[in-house]
Amino acid sequence: MKLNVNSDIAFTYLWSRKKQTIIAAAGVMFGISMYIFMQSLMKGTNDYFEKNSFSNTAHIRIYNENKVADTHLLDSSFKDKSTKILVNPKQVQQSLGLTNPFGLIHSIWKDPQVAAVTPQVSATVLYTSGSVRLNGNMVGVNIVEEDKMFDVKGNMVKGDFRDLNRVNNGILIGKGIADKLSLHVGDNITVTAGATPRIMRVVGIFATTVVQVDNTKSYVNISQAQNLVGKDRSYVTDIKVNLHDYNNAPVKARELEKMTGYKAEDWVQANEQLKAAFKIRAVILNSVIGVILLVAGFGIYNILNMTIYEKIKEIAILKATGFSGGAVISIFLQQAIYIGLIGAVIGLILGFNLTLAVSKIYIGAGNLKYLPMSFYWPHYVQGVVFGIITTVAAGYFPAKKASKVDPVTIIRG
Amino acid sequence: MTKPIALQSEKLTKYFYDPVKMPVLRDITMEVHKGEFVSIVGKSGCGKSTLLYVLSTMDRDYEGTLTINGTKVTGLDVNELAKIRNSSIGFVFQFHYLLPDFSCLKNVMIPGLRLGKYSYKEVEDRAYQKLKMFGVEDQALKMASKLSGGQQQRVAIARALINDPAIIMGDEPTGNLDSKNTGIVFDLFQQLSREFGQTLITVTHDEDFARRSDRIIEMADGEIKDHGH
Ligand SMILES: Nc1ncnc2c1ncn2[C@@H]1O[C@H](COP(=O)(O)OP(=O)(O)OP(=O)(O)O)[C@@H](O)[C@H]1O
Ligand SMILES: [Mg+2]
Repeated sequence: MKLNVNSDIAFTYLWSRKKQTIIAAAGVMFGISMYIFMQSLMKGTNDYFEKNSFSNTAHIRIYNENKVADTHLLDSSFKDKSTKILVNPKQVQQSLGLTNPFGLIHSIWKDPQVAAVTPQVSATVLYTSGSVRLNGNMVGVNIVEEDKMFDVKGNMVKGDFRDLNRVNNGILIGKGIADKLSLHVGDNITVTAGATPRIMRVVGIFATTVVQVDNTKSYVNISQAQNLVGKDRSYVTDIKVNLHDYNNAPVKARELEKMTGYKAEDWVQANEQLKAAFKIRAVILNSVIGVILLVAGFGIYNILNMTIYEKIKEIAILKATGFSGGAVISIFLQQAIYIGLIGAVIGLILGFNLTLAVSKIYIGAGNLKYLPMSFYWPHYVQGVVFGIITTVAAGYFPAKKASKVDPVTIIRG
Repeated sequence: MTKPIALQSEKLTKYFYDPVKMPVLRDITMEVHKGEFVSIVGKSGCGKSTLLYVLSTMDRDYEGTLTINGTKVTGLDVNELAKIRNSSIGFVFQFHYLLPDFSCLKNVMIPGLRLGKYSYKEVEDRAYQKLKMFGVEDQALKMASKLSGGQQQRVAIARALINDPAIIMGDEPTGNLDSKNTGIVFDLFQQLSREFGQTLITVTHDEDFARRSDRIIEMADGEIKDHGH
C-alpha cells in the first residue's frame, strides 16, 4: 500500500475500530437510502398525479368567461374624458360559444411551441335510462385528437373509442354512469341537453382515476354535440391547447389571453390543489430526511469525538514527531469522509433496491397498477452529496479539536 | 573548540502556575556544539524533562530565546515548529509512547513518511535498518503494544533516528534497558556523534552513561550548576 501517510493512519484507525466504523457508516447508509427511497416515491407520485392531471386537463384551455359588466359601452358612446361609474354592476350572461373558433385555432397552430389544438363543445346534460336520471356533462370532441392529447384509449374499459366516428349517435360514458344506469356497450341512453332529448348508443365505457369524472362525463362526436345543444357547426365552447413543454403553459396562457381576448386557463391554475399537495409533501419529506441525516451526522460526530478522547496521547506523539495541525485535521476528517463514502455507496445500492422492490407492489386502484416510483439519477447524486456534506460537517469539529492538542501537556501527563 | 553551534539557549525561564506561580527553569543559558554528545543529570524533579521539552520546540511557553542550527525558533508558529521537529529533531520520550494500533515498523516509518523525502520503499528499508541496529528487527511486524518495555524503548529510539535528525534528544532513553542493551545504545549514540556529526542531548540517571559522554551538564532546582566545560 502506497498511501499518503495521513490516509494510512486514518485507515488504520478506522480498521482498528471496526465496530464503531460500521455503526457510523450504517447511520449514513440509512440516511442516504431513505433519502433516495423517499425522493423516488415522491417524484414518482408527483409525476403520476401530474401526468394524470394531464389525462383530463389540457395544458391550456381557452373559454368564454362570464364577465362583470364594465363601462366600455358608455365609453364608446360618450367619448369625453368623464369618469363613468356603473352602480351595482352584474355578471353579464354571454353566449358560451367562442367567436370565429376555427380562425383562432388556425392562428394558435402557427405558434411553434404548440403541440396540439382541438376544439370542444361542452354542455351540462341529463342522462336518462328507464326511470333513472343523472346529471352530468357531455363533451363533444374529435375523438382521435382527444386521444392524442389525453390518452382516451388507456382509460377504456369496454368498447372501442373509435366507434364514436363510426356509429352516428355513439357515446362514450364514464364507468360511474354505466354502473348507476346499469348500461353496457350497445345499450341506449337518453341525453337531454336543450329542449329535445336524444337517444344515443353506448359504444364504450371508460374509467379514469377520478370518481367525479367517471360519474358525470361522457364523450360524443363534436357535430353530435352541436346538434344536441341546437347550435350550428361553428359553435365551440372551449379550445384546448397542448404545448411541447407544459412548463411554459402559464406564460403561453397569458399570451393567448391577449391574442384571443378570451380567458386562457393553464394547467397550473386548474390544479392549484395538486401543486399545494406537491409542496406539502416536499416539506414533510425534507424534514424527515433532514432529521435522518442529522442523526447520522451526530453518530459520526460522537464516534470521532470518542476516538480523539481515546487517542489523545497518540495525537500528541504525532504532533511531537512533526505532524502539523493541518495533518491532524486531515487524518480525522478523512476518517469521517471514508465513513461517509462507505455509507453512501451502500446507501445508494440499498436505496435503489428498496425503490425497485416497492415499485413492484401491486396497488390496482383505477389505472394505477403499481406504486409509482421514479428512477431519477439526480436523486442518487444528491444523496451522495448530502451524505458527504453531513459527514464532513460532523467530522470537522472533532478534527479541529484534535488539531489543537498540545503535545507537552498530554505527554507530561 | 570552534565547532559550529547546534543549539543555543539564552536566559530560558519557565514557570508552572499550578498550584502557585513557581519557576521550574531559571535563566538557563547554554550551548551545545554540532556533533557533541551531552548528558544532563540532576535530581528527580529538578526540571530536566521540562528543559528538554523546551529545547525540542514542543513547549512554547517560556521566556528567553532558543536558537537551533542558527535559526531563532522562539516565536515561530506551531506548524513551522512541527516541520523543524520532523526534519531536524529526534525525540525519545521518558515513557516511550509508541502508537499501539500500528506495527513497530510502521511506528518507525511514520515520521519518515511524514517528511516525504524518501519513497515508501526506502523509508521501509531505512526503518528496518534502524530496528536492526537495536536488535529488534524480529519484532518489526508485531503490534507495538505487544512488546516488552525495553523492546518498546529501543523501537522508540529507532523512530527518533529515522529522519537522520541533526539533533537527537532523549529523556532517559536507556531507563528500561539492561546493561548490555544500554551499552549498545551508548555505542550507537557515540558513533552517531563522532561519525555522522549528529548532536545528542540525553537526560540520564545512569552515572556510567553520563561519565562516558562528551560533557555532563548538572542541574539543580531549575538551574544549571555545572556546564561541564
Ligand atoms: N504540569 C505541571 N504543573 C506544575 N508543576 C509541574 C508540572 N509538570 C512538572 N511539574 C513540576 O516541575 C518540576 C520539574 O519536573 P520535571 O518533569 O522536569 O522533572 P525531572 O527533572 O524530569 O524529574 P525526573 O528525573 O523524575 O524525570 C517538578 O517539581 C514537577 O513537580
Ligand atoms: Mg523527567
